[in-house]
Amino acid sequence: MTLPLSNRRILIVEDESLVAMLLETILEDMGCVTVGPISNIEDALALLAGDEAATLDGALLDVNVAGREVFPVAVVLKARNVPFVFSTGYGQGGLPDEWRTHATIQKPFTEAAVQQALFSALGVATV
Amino acid sequence: MTLKELVKSGDLAVDLATAFDASPNPYVLVHPDLRIAGMNQAYLDVTHSRREDIIGQPMFSAFDSGPGEDAPENVRQVRASIQKAITTRARDHLAVVRFSMPRVLETGEKQFEERYWSATHTPVLNGAGDVVYVLQHTTDITELERLRHRAKDDGATEDGAEAVSALDAMVGGSVLMRARSVQEDNRRLETERNQLTDMFMQAPGFIAVLSGPEHRFQLFNEAYRRLTDHRDLAGKTVAEALPEMVPQGYIDRLDSVFETGEPIEGRGSLLQLQTVPDGPLENTYVDFIYQPIRDDGGKVVGIFVQGHDVTDNVLAAQRQKLMIDELNHRVKNTLATVQSIAMQTARSNTEPRAFAESFQARLMSLSHTHDLLTRSHWEGADLGDILRHETEAHEAHRISANGPPVPLGPAFALSLGMIFHELATNAAKYGSLSVPGGRVIVDWTIADQTDRRLVVEWIEVGGPEVGEPTRRGFGTRMVERNVRHDLAGDVELRYAPDGFRATITAPLDRGTCR
Repeated sequence: MTLPLSNRRILIVEDESLVAMLLETILEDMGCVTVGPISNIEDALALLAGDEAATLDGALLDVNVAGREVFPVAVVLKARNVPFVFSTGYGQGGLPDEWRTHATIQKPFTEAAVQQALFSALGVATV
Repeated sequence: MTLKELVKSGDLAVDLATAFDASPNPYVLVHPDLRIAGMNQAYLDVTHSRREDIIGQPMFSAFDSGPGEDAPENVRQVRASIQKAITTRARDHLAVVRFSMPRVLETGEKQFEERYWSATHTPVLNGAGDVVYVLQHTTDITELERLRHRAKDDGATEDGAEAVSALDAMVGGSVLMRARSVQEDNRRLETERNQLTDMFMQAPGFIAVLSGPEHRFQLFNEAYRRLTDHRDLAGKTVAEALPEMVPQGYIDRLDSVFETGEPIEGRGSLLQLQTVPDGPLENTYVDFIYQPIRDDGGKVVGIFVQGHDVTDNVLAAQRQKLMIDELNHRVKNTLATVQSIAMQTARSNTEPRAFAESFQARLMSLSHTHDLLTRSHWEGADLGDILRHETEAHEAHRISANGPPVPLGPAFALSLGMIFHELATNAAKYGSLSVPGGRVIVDWTIADQTDRRLVVEWIEVGGPEVGEPTRRGFGTRMVERNVRHDLAGDVELRYAPDGFRATITAPLDRGTCR
């Protein structure tokens, strides 16, 4: 059986290793190849500045990464046309206006929510 | 100053001075400190005095209304009228005032004569608008008053009111009466006004009265001065005295109240004021209202400003919101962590009872570190305390902890708590704690005091012979990931035949704010 996101390379930016491990497990179950997980903004920006950036198919971004907001990373991804989904514990109001309509999953998240958000962000039909 | 000197100084025109001196109306000119500056002949005649005796004298030592018991009140009324002319820079009328005048009799005896006067006090301003003199014009109305009193006394015995009112009307008594009652009202109102002014001045809220379309400070109380850090406000416009308010839109709002007559209210409104010249703006939050002040014709002539400094309340509310947001964030993150533990534990424990045991133990481990952090209000926890809490399920003498006190931030503490839990669990399952007599030695030090790194050695002794595991369980992966990912450190796991060893190193001075 071929999964819709088979072999898609998905970047994970998440500072809590346990949450990152959960995302990895979910993504691997979907057939994705995970990149990272990366635990801070500097490393994420460094990765996006390098060659590996061109190989990314999507990203999952924790909004608050080690006390800093992830938006500089989001700006680079948007400029490179890499689709991404925010994950946040702050609820709907936690995002600034410019990102409020962007695809977001709320912590704690279910496998289905992560899958659904990635399917729609990457423009993959769910059936 | 004599009138001639006045003329020389050019303050009064010559013909005016001449007319003044020749006038049959009595005039006296006083300095703002109430010393007599000059007078005309009619004044000397009516007061039975000589110029050289009274010139330069304080008005009320030259004329003190005599020894009568009403004298202090008479003096007070005249003094108040002069003062009012000075402060308001407007003419003040005193319709009737009793004021006794001294008269030296032919016998040489000095006698006080009770007289009634009507007086007008007119301020004389210089080019800058300051009061330099007050001109008093008095009319002796004693005969009129006597006539009126007599009529009243007569009338009272006979046909009462009518006779009085007729004669009153004839000699203008009713006019005087009315004037007198207005004067009484004025005095009462003045007292009330003073009381109100006192209340304004001492009110805990800030109050200011602004006049004119340019919003000039006419009155402001102590609280307003505190708000504006005791800056010089008197007589200035708001834009002149507090220029930083202009770009903040407050002057626009004042303009709007002045133009439309509609009051404007603000709640928790941010006001940035400069507390030191050229210094930074400091945030103040105020509840305020701008209300129009109207004249008799309903035209807006000024603005009444009042309000309260609510900075403390606003800041407390902001702090509370921040704390609730942070709490929510932490709870959601903790739930995501628990969710991950549940999912990973389920994958390595297919049997429900084993899953429940493993999951609960991990949950309790997390909870223990939370307890420690709660004790310090989430400021941090000590490494030794964390180790003791995470290994308390095992006999205390089997764990030997050696190292200095190391305070750790909340995130570091939570990670290390989970790491110790997994190491202890593995020791109890496969390592030294799985057999009687086996022990664990935990040594820690801080290496490199400038770029501090924590080094923790976990050494198992007296256990069964160990070898490299065939499969790496969730616990081991979690230890590795936690150290590398969350603590930005290194971990080395050695499965030596004489016992398992783990070496963890992690920088201490990063990410403690998380």
